[in-house]
Amino acid sequence: MADDVIIRFDRVTKRYEDGVTVLDEVSFDIERGKFYTLLGPSGCGKTTILRLIAGFMEPTEGNIYINGKLVNRVPANKRQVNTVFQDYALFPHLNVYENVAFGLRIKKLDRLSIDTKVKEALRFVNLEGYENRDIAGMSGGQRQRVAIARAIVNEPEVLLLDEPLSALDLKLRTEMQYELRELQRRLGITFVFVTHDQEEALAMSDEIFVLNKGRIQQSGTPTDIYDEPINRFVADFIGESNIIPGRMIRDYLVEFAGKPFECVDGGFREGEPVEIVIRPEDLEITEPESGKLRIRVESQLFRGVHYEIKGRDESGNTWLVHSTRKAEVDEHIGLTFGPEAIHVMRFGETEEEFDRRLETYGEGSHG
Amino acid sequence: MRSVDRRWRWSNLYLTAVFVILYAPIAYLIVYSFNSGGTMQGFEGFTLEWYGEVLQDTRLLIIVLNTVVIALLSALVSTILGTIGALAIYEVKRRSRKNALLALNNVLIVSPDVIIGASFLILFTIIGIQLGFVSVLLSHIAFSVPIVVLMVLPKLQEMRTSMLDAARDLGANAWQVLTRVVVPYMKPGIFAGFFMALTYSLDDFAVTFFVTGNGFSTLSVEIYSRARQGISLSINALSTLLFLFTVALVIGYYFINRRNARLAESGERR
Repeated sequence: MADDVIIRFDRVTKRYEDGVTVLDEVSFDIERGKFYTLLGPSGCGKTTILRLIAGFMEPTEGNIYINGKLVNRVPANKRQVNTVFQDYALFPHLNVYENVAFGLRIKKLDRLSIDTKVKEALRFVNLEGYENRDIAGMSGGQRQRVAIARAIVNEPEVLLLDEPLSALDLKLRTEMQYELRELQRRLGITFVFVTHDQEEALAMSDEIFVLNKGRIQQSGTPTDIYDEPINRFVADFIGESNIIPGRMIRDYLVEFAGKPFECVDGGFREGEPVEIVIRPEDLEITEPESGKLRIRVESQLFRGVHYEIKGRDESGNTWLVHSTRKAEVDEHIGLTFGPEAIHVMRFGETEEEFDRRLETYGEGSHG
Repeated sequence: MRSVDRRWRWSNLYLTAVFVILYAPIAYLIVYSFNSGGTMQGFEGFTLEWYGEVLQDTRLLIIVLNTVVIALLSALVSTILGTIGALAIYEVKRRSRKNALLALNNVLIVSPDVIIGASFLILFTIIGIQLGFVSVLLSHIAFSVPIVVLMVLPKLQEMRTSMLDAARDLGANAWQVLTRVVVPYMKPGIFAGFFMALTYSLDDFAVTFFVTGNGFSTLSVEIYSRARQGISLSINALSTLLFLFTVALVIGYYFINRRNARLAESGERR
């Protein structure tokens, strides 16, 4: 086991008593000092993974290692891991200081070191001077900071964050994204962040695990996952995308919407049916004659940064376009895009198979 | 506008009438506790004679002491037992079993005191506990426990389980989770339960009447037996003192509540 692996899941399955399987033979490694995000819709098993790491539940099958040691039966209070909860789970009967000091008091540290550590943790989250405040009197953002201080004061090797931003309003949420990322860099410890918000995941993570139905669909850096989703679920869940049925004529040449297009993907059988993904922001609006595709505009929404245009091509595929250029409903417009804007997905391909295929045609690493 | 006005006046009148009817007998009793005439017919003159009699009555003072001791002891013990009981019910995972336990608990609260008193009398007689201090204390504890359970349990149920996870996450073992998080969190419920148990014990008549004996008596039973024996206005004086005591309790409770509310409010505002 490599030294920099801090958490290892080895074919971990979690099944509830009523027979529902929430995690299905999940394996992954988490490395020291990185920001990980578990991303997926509700019920995908992301919180279950977090609770398994924290020690609030035990796996039905498989093994969990922390620092190379098997921890399947190690209770939460004996693990060098701390959690920031979705509802913060602060203790309402204690003030800010005592909330943060809770873990240290359990460890029976002396008064002086408790005091230094608590003050330092509060300074870390910009809450100096709030020591004697009541929890009831604090805003959502402040509570969030107390929860983070309470967790990091114990100097955990891994900090688990269970959708900590979901209760905040949009502006505060964006601010906290920067702060959390910054905090992780300063502390240098591993963060495992759970969210259903793909923007959050893309903005903050070193590494994202996309989960669905108890399985990891894809893992990789934000750009890997955004640029090269391995299946329809990932493409659909991360960002917005046009997913169009197509056919590989041969490697680097794909046919969709009734026309052949150059692309950068290979390793397919000739004539293999595929799905292609083009991100709406990769489509450029041109004159109808000069476009690679011609669509009729069906609706248009102004989104502030861009117009969101929906249209249909001659073969009946619907297209979503993000453009700063305005269009008119019922107008015919041309769409143009480069070969690298097209991403080809093979049906039913797993992540390992995808990686192996990538190596065969020499695009090198992801992206 | 006028109709709203009139309705408001009618409701006021109704309220006044209700309170007058409720408080008139007490007022009547208080007024005659100052009557030098010695009876409740005809007010002859003002005197504090009856109050003097009450304060000189050592037997009565001992009974007051008994009552307070029984109330405090039974409230204390039943608060401990009831809190443990509430925790136990809270821990029951099966919904049907939890509801069954709660129903059993509530039946004890609503069942008539007379039945509880009589059944305790039978029980104590069978197992040979002498009627007196111990039997009264035991029965008071018994009828207070369900009340405490009922006061504590809602507090537990509104507690977020993530708080327990957080405590464990921070290194607390089961005992530390209980003593440092759960019990402090339940404290308002525990206090409410204690005071409810205290008042139930202080003013209980029926159960005590059944299980007391061997010269042991509490205030409510004593007042009852004195009122039976014949009219002495010292009863009025004693009742007046009791009434003033409860009024003082209510006012005190009101101010404590208001202070807490103000504290909470100023906390919110910050």
